[in-house]
Amino acid sequence: MTDRYDTVDELDEEATEAFRELIYRLADDEYVIAERDIEWQIYAPTLESDLALANIAQDEFGHARLWYDLAQETGLSEAACLWEKPADQWRHSTLVELPYTDGDWADPVLRSYLYDTAERLRVEALAGSSVAPVADRVQKILDEERYHREHAQSWLERLTLGGGADAGTEESHAKVQDALDRLFPHALTLFAAGEHEETIVAEGFRTETLDDLRREWLDVVIPYLESLDLTVPEPEDEKRTATGRNGDHTEHWEPLLEEFTKTYREFDFDHPVRLREGGVS
Amino acid sequence: MSGTTEEATACAYTDYEAGEAPEEYPKTGEGAEGLEADIWDALYEVEDPEMPVSVVDLGLIYGVDIEETDTGTTAVVEMTLTYSGCPAREMLTNDVHCAALAAGVEAAEVRLRYSPNWNVNMVTEQGREDLREFGLSV
Repeated sequence: MTDRYDTVDELDEEATEAFRELIYRLADDEYVIAERDIEWQIYAPTLESDLALANIAQDEFGHARLWYDLAQETGLSEAACLWEKPADQWRHSTLVELPYTDGDWADPVLRSYLYDTAERLRVEALAGSSVAPVADRVQKILDEERYHREHAQSWLERLTLGGGADAGTEESHAKVQDALDRLFPHALTLFAAGEHEETIVAEGFRTETLDDLRREWLDVVIPYLESLDLTVPEPEDEKRTATGRNGDHTEHWEPLLEEFTKTYREFDFDHPVRLREGGVS
Repeated sequence: MSGTTEEATACAYTDYEAGEAPEEYPKTGEGAEGLEADIWDALYEVEDPEMPVSVVDLGLIYGVDIEETDTGTTAVVEMTLTYSGCPAREMLTNDVHCAALAAGVEAAEVRLRYSPNWNVNMVTEQGREDLREFGLSV
């Protein structure tokens, strides 16, 4: 029987380190995928899909905030968790940091399907967390995530040839297949272990192992993607060493981090701008 | 238009099931006395920034407690948000904080909670009337 923690500040030092890793895996994933998704603003193929993606990004920012709140309860500032966190301390999977290619709508759709299916399983595995405020957040997030998968699937069925009445064209199908070949190895890093994985499970922060989650995810996504006439790469062939989970990222990560922290850095909080010199501050 | 008369159907991509209000919710301050009742009264004055309905009638307040500490009386208000990406979080929690203070305590603390997950059935009867008047069907 593992200990139960009513609040985050009851964790000892070692447990706190492991807890931060768990939280960063969740929060950084959400934050970075939302950053990428908002790049589609005004470029999505219809106003409806522009709004839908904006709304999904808003949800993911909201979930990132829910998780970062808990990181802050371990004694860190928001700046330390986010704006001033060095690139190699981010724990998101490389799937979420990859850039989109202009006009390649198949990518955000497939990425969202792979990511949001994993997110459901990962968050469900927190429902019985030994840390009460973690479990407290689960149902809220799950209820909001369902729409994300519906959105991704409704598009996948329209872009691929196996989608039935609303099936897509040869060209759109090929684009989804292309995105799948490219993204799948990165999606598997969602389940790559970090430094403190053993403690995360031993402490009961999460009640399932990453291997179990990975298996459950493959059991959902492979049959579904195959039902759309897509060919899924062999998971065992797809081992990446830079998983993101170990702080090792792709070359696309640092420019993205640089970009979304630019305004924060320009604010120069140590020297706030004054409206009138010496007057209103 | 096909010219045939069909029953209007709801958009297939939207789920209109509202969920159920868990027992004991919404919390309305009914039966509260003294200072606690004053705090509930003050919270009734705080409106959602998007709709003219009080945060209590929306069912967002999950509890009000009074704690006596060395520095005096502290009000602890537990509340939730309708959705986690709510951009008015700071504004709402600040309004609630100020309302609790105005009820006459030395300090106030607002704690966010997410369970039970808020749903439309946690809106009070008064809240429903206010929302209907505002033009929403609930």
